[in-house]
Amino acid sequence: MKTRITEMVGIKYPIVLSGMSWISVPKMVAAVSNAGGLGILATGPLNAAQTREAIREIRKLTDKPFGANASLMFPGAAENAKVLLQEKVPVINFALGKGDWIVKEAHKYGGKVFATVVNLKHAKRAQDFGTDAVIATGQEAAAHGEDVTSLVLIPHLAENLKIPVIAAGGFADGRGIAAALALGAEGVAMGTRLMTTRESPLHENYKRMTQEKDVYDTLFSKRFDGILCRVMKTDAAKKAVKTGLNWPAAFFNSQAIAKQMGIPYFKLFIGVLLSGYKNARQLAYMANAFKAIRVATEDGDSKTGVLPVGQSQGLIHDVPTIAELFERIMKEAKAAQAKVNAALE
Amino acid sequence: MFDTQITRMFGVKYPVICGAMMWLCKPKMCAAVSNAGGIGNLTAGNYETADEFRAAIRETRRLTDKPFFVAITLLPSVRITPEHHKMYVKVCAEEKVAGIEFSGTPLDKVAGMEAVEMLKKAGVKMFHKVGALRHALHAEKIGFDGIYAAGIEEGGHPLNDDVTSMVLTPKIAASVKIPVVTVGGIADGRTMAAALALGAEGVMMASRFIATKECEVHDNIKQELIRRQEFDTVIYGKSIGLQGRGLKSKVIEEVLAIEARNGGFEELIPLLSGQKVKQAWETGDVDYAPLMVGQSIGLINDIPTCAELLERMAAQAKEITARTAKLCGN
Repeated sequence: MKTRITEMVGIKYPIVLSGMSWISVPKMVAAVSNAGGLGILATGPLNAAQTREAIREIRKLTDKPFGANASLMFPGAAENAKVLLQEKVPVINFALGKGDWIVKEAHKYGGKVFATVVNLKHAKRAQDFGTDAVIATGQEAAAHGEDVTSLVLIPHLAENLKIPVIAAGGFADGRGIAAALALGAEGVAMGTRLMTTRESPLHENYKRMTQEKDVYDTLFSKRFDGILCRVMKTDAAKKAVKTGLNWPAAFFNSQAIAKQMGIPYFKLFIGVLLSGYKNARQLAYMANAFKAIRVATEDGDSKTGVLPVGQSQGLIHDVPTIAELFERIMKEAKAAQAKVNAALE
Repeated sequence: MFDTQITRMFGVKYPVICGAMMWLCKPKMCAAVSNAGGIGNLTAGNYETADEFRAAIRETRRLTDKPFFVAITLLPSVRITPEHHKMYVKVCAEEKVAGIEFSGTPLDKVAGMEAVEMLKKAGVKMFHKVGALRHALHAEKIGFDGIYAAGIEEGGHPLNDDVTSMVLTPKIAASVKIPVVTVGGIADGRTMAAALALGAEGVMMASRFIATKECEVHDNIKQELIRRQEFDTVIYGKSIGLQGRGLKSKVIEEVLAIEARNGGFEELIPLLSGQKVKQAWETGDVDYAPLMVGQSIGLINDIPTCAELLERMAAQAKEITARTAKLCGN
């Protein structure tokens, strides 16, 4: 399938792996790229040295194009993005911030930049400073969407932007791809579907749970990590949302983050305090969420762990290899499109 | 030009059905949609007696010889009682209307299987508007002819499962044998083509039909729908167990403020009165009462006639399909 996205990046299928912390790791990124999609490394849990190491590992595992993300709201994200630029990563996907400087630097070496957006205003701003494509996140997506759903958001962005749109949120099969193309998207991003594959490092417990849970088994709340976030509905998730922000836990968890990022804790602490109450509160929320997501993905802990998933989990019933999945998706897309053809005869 | 289970079932040109809208879906509007090649909607709640309701059906028939739907909301309200529900069903059977859009409680629970049998015998096609597969399966089991799969983006009362059309339509379409119609987020040929790709056999629109020449609503409302964007609607009413999606406005802010401080039903009722909605439609004051429109308002940019709207949707869907066929190698 040829779209502006497949041509821009040089991939076989217009399918992008969402950058998911502890899931979109080098092996997974390479597996998606080797299967003909675009793997995107999640740098959220990594410090600069680890990011560099991860990029080099990906390059050992694949000679295909790949990407890496930078969620600019996280501490350390700007440093990670600088590493991505130094390593000349083919595609950089920024979110939750202004990535104009990334665009400027990436274009110098021929890199492409995708901005993750939830509305037209942010998408237009990204287009104006030279971003190459947007990933449009609908309400049904895992983690950080807003209220507008994919069915409405995608056509609205596609008609108002010159750069191509990659649809994210609600896509798990070929019917979804055919629908996204009809809405004007030129690719889709898949998180929940791709985390439930053989190659995915997601813990087996959660691979089983994404198959068991239905379309309505998610929670969408600001009380998990401080901004609207969709997670799997489990007892642990309900409890986390009910509790809201737990400051003492944040104090504890942020020390682990500082250690992980390799920055002295007092530096992180002072930095966070100086950033103002609103931001400090946000980072405290994120510190707790970070922990809950890590123990879910890595340890399979369903007692305290929380996993961001999209509503599309209700469309997932198996754990195929990525190659099998892509092949099947493209067949399904062809069949779904043929059905529309027949309806319009 | 269109050939789907919906166009075949009703013998219509376009698989586009107008959704129920209290105060707006009356004979003239209903006939306008049907005459344009879609399927119009006559909303039963507008009529309190059997005579009035029957007269409205007959008036619609004078205005069009094409099929149209009657909408019956099976939820108790202050004005419309379970006795009304039974009366509507009986009149529909007697008048042999083409189809009924039911929403709310399953028909068999409200009026018994005899109501289902009566409608079947009269040849009235029964569709239930649902927000979940379990409700679709129930409707299929008791003999309904089709499902309206209503995503959280719809105006009105989306189910509190909160599932979006992109996920709900394929989920239901893959699991029932009767045709599925996508509700919520549909406003043009793109969204229609997407719904068909997801497994729908047709689409339902309501908000989009408000901004047409034929809709009998104050012009301010139509202009407001053009001005406002997809993020300008909001869910309210969660605290009283009946969520609704409406246009962001002063009155909805007030409703949300009352809900935030756990003000109860009594305090909310005056703000949510149906009579006030009627006045808001008539006077064009968007801040006077909750106006239940969906996120698809972000895709509304003009006020065509119903015929222009449907022709354009069809042309756009056709153009898109030519493009996606090429992409998919068909």
